[in-house]
Amino acid sequence: MTKAGDWQSYKRVLLPPVKDLHHLDVYRAGGGYEALRAVLSDWKPDEVTEEVKRSGLRGRGGAGFPTGLKWSFMPPVKPDVPRYLCCNADESEPGTFKDRQLMEYNPHLMFEGILIAGYAMSLKACYLYVRGEFANWITLLQDELSKLYDAKLAGSNILGTGFSMDIIMHKGAGAYICGEETSLMESLEGKRAYPRIKPPFPAQSGIWGYPTTINNVETLACAPLIINRGGDWFAGVGAKKHPGPVLYGISGHVNRPGVYEYPTGMLITDLLDIAGGIRGNKKLKALVPGGASVPVLRADMIDGVTMDVESLHEAGSMMGTAGMLFLDEDTDMVAFLRRVARFYHHESCGQCTPCREGTGWMENLITRIDDGEGNLRDLDLLLDLCDQMEGRTVCALADAAAWPVRNTIKRFRGDFERRCRPSAWAVNA
Amino acid sequence: MADFIRNPVVALPDSNPEAHFSEEELVFTPEEKAKIAEYVTQYPTPDGAVMWVLWLAQEKFGFLPPEVMRLVATELSLPYAQVYGVATFYTQYYKEKKGTYVLDVCTCFSCQFCGGYDTLAYLEEKLGVMRGHTTPCGRFTLREAECLGACGSAPMMQVSNGPYAYNLTPEKIDALVDAMEAGQPLPFISVTLPQDEDEMGGNRRTDAEAVERYAVPPVAKRTQ
Ligand SMILES: Cc1cc2nc3c(=O)[nH]c(=O)nc-3n(C[C@H](O)[C@H](O)[C@H](O)COP(=O)(O)O)c2cc1C
Ligand code: SF4
Ligand code: FES
Repeated sequence: MTKAGDWQSYKRVLLPPVKDLHHLDVYRAGGGYEALRAVLSDWKPDEVTEEVKRSGLRGRGGAGFPTGLKWSFMPPVKPDVPRYLCCNADESEPGTFKDRQLMEYNPHLMFEGILIAGYAMSLKACYLYVRGEFANWITLLQDELSKLYDAKLAGSNILGTGFSMDIIMHKGAGAYICGEETSLMESLEGKRAYPRIKPPFPAQSGIWGYPTTINNVETLACAPLIINRGGDWFAGVGAKKHPGPVLYGISGHVNRPGVYEYPTGMLITDLLDIAGGIRGNKKLKALVPGGASVPVLRADMIDGVTMDVESLHEAGSMMGTAGMLFLDEDTDMVAFLRRVARFYHHESCGQCTPCREGTGWMENLITRIDDGEGNLRDLDLLLDLCDQMEGRTVCALADAAAWPVRNTIKRFRGDFERRCRPSAWAVNA
Repeated sequence: MADFIRNPVVALPDSNPEAHFSEEELVFTPEEKAKIAEYVTQYPTPDGAVMWVLWLAQEKFGFLPPEVMRLVATELSLPYAQVYGVATFYTQYYKEKKGTYVLDVCTCFSCQFCGGYDTLAYLEEKLGVMRGHTTPCGRFTLREAECLGACGSAPMMQVSNGPYAYNLTPEKIDALVDAMEAGQPLPFISVTLPQDEDEMGGNRRTDAEAVERYAVPPVAKRTQ
């Protein structure tokens, strides 16, 4: 028995098999917004946060921070000080495509979660920050949101209970860094999206200096499930230290790529089977378990490893966004790393020197190796560069760039060495 | 020795070039002004609305030359420098004139190994234009994009900041380009979930304009 328990008979809850669930009436007919009604009429705000704490829910946006704890960081309510929620739908982590599908197929679960979080933290409004590329999905969400307002489920005096909260859509315009929480806040304020130095943390001083909480779409979508079925039920799904249902976005060289919903703690090998195995009966070479920022795992490192923070940490990687990229035996890891480095170089906001210059040097060095002009000592130079970048910048993008570079070189050193010139100095200069 | 430094110094657009639009063209209609006022009310300060208003301006004018950024700044009573700063931060705001259709082909890492660069090369050949450039007829701009959040349907591209096209093959690209040349609107495509195909026999949205199933990704020939 794995940590995920009897996953073969798992019934989906984030994306239950109901046709047209994205319509408000279909969602309500299936018991939608009953969790909100219950919370608004019978619960105290603190009790909601306690229940979320009991559920053990961890953020699904990448960092895996316990959500109930995050909510409890909000300072005590003061009159005339508005408090905000930002729902992070900027989904730009390479390899991640779950939030888009959740918003397309079950947007009301997210909206209900937003309102429950709003009640728990006594918030004035939620800004739903959707990346600009999702223009079509923004239109869909706006339609459903206006129906929500018409049905008195958002805006003032929700369901006649006296609780008021607005949900406001914000459209991004194409910048990975806006997914970082403080950058997202700068972007909302109409500035260049340069991340802020923490502390102060968003709960103390967020958008326009007001207390703010930031959560991922999938995280918030878990809130109605926790209220309806209880925190203890949620805590019992999947891995103990990282419970709940998760949307696994599986891409790369598999037969059936796509978004799959299963509990946490699934064996990676089981997920590979579910996705139809590696295409063309090839062998697996590498796996990126949670988006571009997390360290890559070699095929021989995944035996018995399950998808939860604990097990992935032991294996030398991270859960990230659960966007899993499987690569087959023919994959050129140098080309892979070259593209990853290019991504971070392109997306660095340019505020901190180690990140702005470091990502550029990374790209140049790996390009040089990929073009067959690299020297062996370039590999050590790259590792040294990672040391110079990690932990020395305003936000975690520099770390997110250094981790894959360091670990890909370490774990596939042979692939890199074969492409390098053996001597330290260029022979044909 | 220095030829491995391939990345050119970022060229900033000239901040005061000849205007593309005349004074008469540079006005918002009353409806647009009402829309802008609505955006402004959604934020504690007018600054927050700047991204929405830039989107609105880009839809109206096609791109955002300095005089349009000035117009946005005047409309929101913000410093021009702030609007300029925001407009130049994001890749989806067009700072120079683009083709009628902008094709953003994703080549980020999932797409890279599932034919993203093959798609890009095929389009370069077909349209006779290099990535980053516009065809002489002014109809197509071809760009290389970072992950667009549809990695399970690689290779894929986005057309003019709007609809996505998934699981691209040469035949599909031919049909798409033909449709664009004929001026037909591209549909919004819903992608099925593999579990839905097993449990519900296909897509869950009955009102979807068009549906795309998940497919085995092709073998990539190029990776850069
Ligand atoms: C460079 C960078 C990019 C990020 N991008 C995203 C993103 O696209 N979507 C997201 O939900 N979180 C993203 N995050 C994580 C957020 O900063 C934040 O931790 C998260 O939204 C919190 O939500 P959660 O607690 O529900 O996970 C990113 C973080 C970093 C450092
Ligand atoms: S680490 Fe990079 S992305 Fe983050 S603030 Fe510094 S320069 Fe910007
Ligand atoms: S890598 Fe192409 S859409 Fe994500």
